[in-house]
Amino acid sequence: MFKKVTLEKRIDFVSALMEKGPLFAPVKGEKDFEFQRITDPSVVTLDFYNTSMSPKFVFFPQSEDLIRYRLVKNGAESAPVPIDTPPSVILGVRPCDAKSFEIMDRHFLGAGVIDPYWKERRDKTTVIGYPFDPRTQPDPADFYNALGIRAADTAGSDVLMIRRDGDLLLKSLTEKGSGLLTDLALSDGSADDERAFEEILREGNDLRSRFLEIQDSEIAGKLSRIFEDKDFWEKTAEACIGCGICTFVCPTCYCFDISDETLFNEGMRKRFWDACMFTDFTLEASGHNPRPKIFQRYRQKVCHKYAYHVGKYGCISCVGCGRCTRACPVNIDIFSVIEKALKR
Amino acid sequence: MQNPYIPMPVEVVKIVTEVDSKDIKTFRLAFVNKEDEERFRYLPGQFAELSILGKGECPIGIASSPTETGYIEFTVQRAGTLVAGMVTTALHDLDVGARIGVRGPLGNAWPLEYLEGKDVVVVGGGFAFTTLRSLIHYMLHEKNRSRFGDISVIYGARTPGLLCYKDELTAWECRKDLRMFVTVDKGDDAWKGRTGFVPAVCREVAPGADGPTCSEFTPSAENAVAVICGPPIMIRYTLPVFFELGFSKENIITSLEMRMKCGIGKCGRCNVGEKYVCKDGPIFSVAELDKLTREY
Repeated sequence: MFKKVTLEKRIDFVSALMEKGPLFAPVKGEKDFEFQRITDPSVVTLDFYNTSMSPKFVFFPQSEDLIRYRLVKNGAESAPVPIDTPPSVILGVRPCDAKSFEIMDRHFLGAGVIDPYWKERRDKTTVIGYPFDPRTQPDPADFYNALGIRAADTAGSDVLMIRRDGDLLLKSLTEKGSGLLTDLALSDGSADDERAFEEILREGNDLRSRFLEIQDSEIAGKLSRIFEDKDFWEKTAEACIGCGICTFVCPTCYCFDISDETLFNEGMRKRFWDACMFTDFTLEASGHNPRPKIFQRYRQKVCHKYAYHVGKYGCISCVGCGRCTRACPVNIDIFSVIEKALKR
Repeated sequence: MQNPYIPMPVEVVKIVTEVDSKDIKTFRLAFVNKEDEERFRYLPGQFAELSILGKGECPIGIASSPTETGYIEFTVQRAGTLVAGMVTTALHDLDVGARIGVRGPLGNAWPLEYLEGKDVVVVGGGFAFTTLRSLIHYMLHEKNRSRFGDISVIYGARTPGLLCYKDELTAWECRKDLRMFVTVDKGDDAWKGRTGFVPAVCREVAPGADGPTCSEFTPSAENAVAVICGPPIMIRYTLPVFFELGFSKENIITSLEMRMKCGIGKCGRCNVGEKYVCKDGPIFSVAELDKLTREY
């Protein structure tokens, strides 16, 4: 299904999406662009490169309520917080982020245990992908091409949206996507629009971001061989202050903590994003900590993404979006780390 | 779909203080809902998350055996010498009648099928004996005993007062169908039993050993499997003994510990290399551990 909206009517288009359910879309913040739950259609912008936080929070919020409880004598009265999401839409997801959803699916829906929170939101959410504009220079931190992702890839999107002159062209890629486009009652795109759309997809195949030949099994094998190379890892993580920002902005970091928050006698068991970069992440009640040093924790992060995930789920869990490099306060760049590791 | 993050309600029906230092207690828990009890089908070696709302959850090995029905048991040490053990402290403050939660069973089990037809030597130290107790109960059960060859148990603690499950140890010592060796690092005036460290006792009496108390009834190491659980220092000195006795790495099996939250391989913190200890473990053979990074 191929549809078209004129840019002049984009606010009507956004309003129509909002009528379908919660809408998440990019908004210009004080400093950066961010995906937000939209309440005012006029704040949505499509003039952005990428957001500083990834859109993973739509499926995996930073804080999730699991159980509501009230402490009573000898125990607690409690009830699970219902997992109930209305049909939602994310508008304007860049191909590297759309790909990250598929990578996260392997973890949250795989290995024999389904995470019900992730599943519910994934099932109910329609992703409108938005390729990088071929006329815009990629951010120097990006390296999605090195992970086999191209500027106009369709993986992970239900609808692909491309801006062409004064129009937004929308093509459905999945049943969920066609369902949404049908409901929106948009006008059909012409044959000429469709040719232009395909042309932009083709242009997207050109290499644009930083590039390095990375084979999943090769880098995984390499990292396991240099795991004990303390010099390499100490040097790599020398500047790291263990702040964890790289994991928070990352679209494929999924580690979380579960913790109870009680105020007087009432409370909530919640899960929160956590980070392997923090000292107490692996600190046991006995006092033993398998990863007490920063270099061990940084090594864990790199090896998890480029080795363990390959062994466990068959793919690297990094999409080269460049967020960790842009966000790092001490300029650690995972692309350079991988480049150096391969040469080791 | 069953939500794996929601605990099942259980009631504390019995509490036993196991040791003189009073910081290790066994909690007998009964399911509040019959269907939960039926759903909680476990094997020796598995663990569960004990949940106290308002405090949190902690992963504890199941000390009871599936051959004991109507309840499950957990032996818990109150943690907190260096870090506050919020949940274990709260558990120790509970009285009979309290209601808490359980999520599980979690993780893999001792490799029962692999142990079938083999001689089994169970080696435990301190309170890490809990899932070994489950295994011993399971193997000794009348329906299961014939599936296993010779069974030896080598169990040690620092002092006689720190031995767990004292009544059961005495009962097992009287049985003819297992060889039982209880030892303490340092005895007291009342102690009539064996004194010595676990690795030394293993060298003397385990399958394949030829110590002065061994006889033609001591099995060879050839068809024997060692199942070991204890503090890291005990494991470090015990493993070389079994290598010397001729055990292969495939035939030495142990259980790992890591900090855990979800217990179902999702929260990402208990990995050793690409394995999640909560889901792919906690039980690994030494051959399997050799393939992993040494980060535990």
